[in-house]
Amino acid sequence: MNIAVLSCIHSNLEALEAVLREIDQQPVDQIYCLGDLVGYGPYPNEVVARIRELDIPTCQGCWDEDIVDGLNACDCSYPSLLAETRGHLAHEWTNREVTPETRAYLAELPLTLQQDNLCFVHGSPHSQHEYLLPDTSAFIALERVLATGADTLFCGHTHVPYVRNLENSHLTLKAVHPATSSPSHSSTPLASLKRIINAGSVGEPRHGRPNATYVIYTTDTQQADLREVEYDYAKTCAAILEKGLPAIFAWRLSQGLEYAEKADDPTHVCER
Amino acid sequence: MITVVAGPCGAGKTTWILQELAQVPTPAVYMTPGVSTVPIDATRVATRFPQVEIFHRQHETELLKRLADGVPAYFEMGFQLETDMPLLEAQPHRRVALVAQESQDTGWELWADSMIQGNPSTLDVKSAQLWRAPLSGQVFDPPSLDTFWQELTQGAYGEVHRAKGIFELADGQAFHFDFMNSLPGSAYTELNLPRWVQGRPNRFSGIEVVGQGLDERAIAATLKDCYLSDSLLAAHQTTLKDAIPLEVA
Repeated sequence: MNIAVLSCIHSNLEALEAVLREIDQQPVDQIYCLGDLVGYGPYPNEVVARIRELDIPTCQGCWDEDIVDGLNACDCSYPSLLAETRGHLAHEWTNREVTPETRAYLAELPLTLQQDNLCFVHGSPHSQHEYLLPDTSAFIALERVLATGADTLFCGHTHVPYVRNLENSHLTLKAVHPATSSPSHSSTPLASLKRIINAGSVGEPRHGRPNATYVIYTTDTQQADLREVEYDYAKTCAAILEKGLPAIFAWRLSQGLEYAEKADDPTHVCER
Repeated sequence: MITVVAGPCGAGKTTWILQELAQVPTPAVYMTPGVSTVPIDATRVATRFPQVEIFHRQHETELLKRLADGVPAYFEMGFQLETDMPLLEAQPHRRVALVAQESQDTGWELWADSMIQGNPSTLDVKSAQLWRAPLSGQVFDPPSLDTFWQELTQGAYGEVHRAKGIFELADGQAFHFDFMNSLPGSAYTELNLPRWVQGRPNRFSGIEVVGQGLDERAIAATLKDCYLSDSLLAAHQTTLKDAIPLEVA
């Protein structure tokens, strides 16, 4: 079975349509979406409508949650004052733009999706806002996968696609016995390989090019194909300007820089 | 002796003067006409060589005294040659032009006594835009400033040929930022100044951008979004005071 995994569309309809066109030409049996349908880009309602029309199983992203529940960010959401100001502008614009129907759909999205030994989340199983970066400590990464009960965890949120194999995985438990004060160890090797596959971002890439990214995963071979799709980003840039979003978003999108820079501290554990 | 240094925008005039001053660590005079509200180059010279006296045109009498005493003087000209300097007509001086090899037949050799290899500069002076802003008292959030500087120098607000600035950062340090489009990346140099850990700094900071099609309003607005508020600055300074001795009251 081949599955396509999309994430972080961020109201970029042009990018979503390009990715869907490419998926149409592949032997894909099922599409999953990891959320952040809205935020920053110019077409939040249209993107949600398209995902609903195709009945794509989708989990809730941090932007989707913020539009439903309001802003309540941990430090990792905005690594600078400038990013915070821009994030708030985008939030307020999106909040004004979304229809009640879109908002209701976003509110009902689940935090996690599961299929056999695969789990799908936006940020991490702990929170839509938590970043699982490629260099997040192996312990935290492994704990997050184990928490799902799956072997492979699909996530997004970082906007940079990657595959991380947690090989030779074992958990070591160290406890101090009150009577002896000497630590005792218990080490349990894990039976199967654990993996994190990050799908990158369809609508707001951060890899230095404006191209959309997504993943095609083959369950039989466990092969992950990180794919990059060119699209007419100039159309999205024009729509950003036309709809009154900050012009700097258009420039950043054209550079593959994201609309606002994101946290990149792999030691940070989201406190939201 | 006066050394008059000229050359195209971003040729490396201040850097060359700093190299000259480093070779002769004696009292000296530095003067650059016309930028008294945003004296980025003069501040860079003064912080690197505190023994160098900085002069502006209005202090000509004092300047003449120094020249009479034989103090070496460096006059840094703007990138368009300024001919209206009566002081130079009456004083012996040598003229140095910093010009890239490929531009050395563009008239500079007619003016200069000696030609020094400078950075390449392709600025069309006729259509160039110059935007300057004093920033004294403003303290920057470092990651915000970094984002702004990357955007500025990569063309988000128009085509930037040259950008330089002195910025106060949240940790009390002041940095000189330097970008020239013919050179790779930007240079960031910590200025030799005490950390400012109490209130808003009352020493100079500012920015200068030269380019074409600059969106000056967007540049100014983005800079503003990088400023620390009074409460954030106070919080930073409280942390700093616990960590380092008070250097400036």
